[in-house]
Amino acid sequence: MAASVARVGRPLLGVAVFLAALAVWEAWARSKGSILVPPASSVVETAWEVWPTTDFLTGVGASLRRLAAGFAIGAGVGIGLGLVMGSSTRARRALEPLVEFCRAMPAIAIVPAAIVLLGLGDAMQITVIAFGLCFPVLVNTLAGVRAVSPEVRDTAAMLQVGALERIFRIYLPGALPSIVAGLRVAVSLGLVAVVISEFVGEGEGLGRYIRLQQTEFDVPAMYCGILFLGLLGYVLNRLFLVGERRVLSWHYGSVGEGVGR
Amino acid sequence: MSRLAEAMEREQPAPRAAAPVLRVSDLSKRYSADGPPALSGVTFDVGEGELLAVVGPSGCGKTTLLRLLCGLIPPSAGAVLFDGEPVQRPPREFALVFQDYSRSLFPWLNVSRNVMFPLRGAGLARAERIARAEAVLAEVGLHGVARSYPWKLSGGMQQRVAIARALVSRPELLLLDEPFASIDALTRAELQDLLLRIHSGVEHRRVTIVHVTHDIDEAVYLADRVLVLGAAPGRVIGSIEVGIARPRTQTTTRSSPQFLAVRNQIHDVIAAKEATR
Repeated sequence: MAASVARVGRPLLGVAVFLAALAVWEAWARSKGSILVPPASSVVETAWEVWPTTDFLTGVGASLRRLAAGFAIGAGVGIGLGLVMGSSTRARRALEPLVEFCRAMPAIAIVPAAIVLLGLGDAMQITVIAFGLCFPVLVNTLAGVRAVSPEVRDTAAMLQVGALERIFRIYLPGALPSIVAGLRVAVSLGLVAVVISEFVGEGEGLGRYIRLQQTEFDVPAMYCGILFLGLLGYVLNRLFLVGERRVLSWHYGSVGEGVGR
Repeated sequence: MSRLAEAMEREQPAPRAAAPVLRVSDLSKRYSADGPPALSGVTFDVGEGELLAVVGPSGCGKTTLLRLLCGLIPPSAGAVLFDGEPVQRPPREFALVFQDYSRSLFPWLNVSRNVMFPLRGAGLARAERIARAEAVLAEVGLHGVARSYPWKLSGGMQQRVAIARALVSRPELLLLDEPFASIDALTRAELQDLLLRIHSGVEHRRVTIVHVTHDIDEAVYLADRVLVLGAAPGRVIGSIEVGIARPRTQTTTRSSPQFLAVRNQIHDVIAAKEATR
């Protein structure tokens, strides 16, 4: 009985802390009484008006499209390179220094170079997003392939599994739990890169919306954009977890419950 | 022929074929050029239909020997000949079963797909592959688990799946690396008897088996002949004919004077080797 109360209470606790944070914000803003520090209530009120507008939603759509394109390219490159580096020692030795070098560069640092090369439009923005999220995917793919057990490798060798078949039928499924964990991190990093690239680039988008409201001193609207990003990140992560549980049901069973929450 | 004579003939130890299936000659393995050899000058034959057990203390290179036999690693010197041809990469006719069943099955495939995997390039229709998998699963005593994932099964059942996967492609030589070492004692006895059944004929074909173990009693119970390896460097220090009639059973065979005699003989070989170190 006590246990079931605790189980019901668990999400409630999280909600309570969330509401408390809003209350602290509200109290602090009211005590300041400045237009630069709008209280939570007025931000929520504004959000209620702003979020459903076509203007705002078009921006959200543009941001999501960029995220999707950058994700597809970055994750594809990350998984592909990770599989190649994981399955061939020579490829790993050849590529590792370059990859480690590029990985050390923050995505934001390549923005000026990307602008010089690609301009201010979607090409630059998608490149920055893809760059920002491809490395965690690559590193996780590589780690996943290298964690494939020696017994599985030997079994594949005994069964005459060729190089290409080994990549797709042994390493890819074997590394999938690790790859998916990398992809989930990549979604959050991708969102960061979306905002960064929109701060400096052209076209509509959430990042652009936030910048615009800031320069126009519409502080509550600026917070609306920021809060929406938080919401978007949260929802994307949840969706990802649901998909992950379906695709990797075999994995969660084999390592026990409670992984990847 | 009288029934007695028939029975006697049936209970004869398996006659060794004139031409061995596997010839191992002067096989050595060093993992690094200046390091000590893991195996040195190992020579033996495996006859067709023979069940050869390889025993030895840990670190004597049992697993190295098995990987060399399979062509998974190249020897530093010497050769492994299968049907007269040198083994340079894993031959189609070989199948290998590992000690760690949970790490050797493909966790992303269910039992049926695990067992069907070796048939993927065999040019068989899907229905045929499924039928073959079901038949071999029944042969190893598994029913109704085809659609389960490996982790749902007990250790003994997982090892049965691994054995089924090894048998599905109808190998001529089955190699096992301490297959029952991580399995509880009762299940181990069942799996030993399963191995004896496999040896006596899967689908009426005798299978040649090389069984690596550190359990001397298991080796004597199962094998036609026991190859004893010594450590540092790994080499053959004895080859002992078991000669106990088949069929064998856990109770009768293990309590027979013959069993105890062979077992003591092997212990003596190992003790004599220890004394000379």
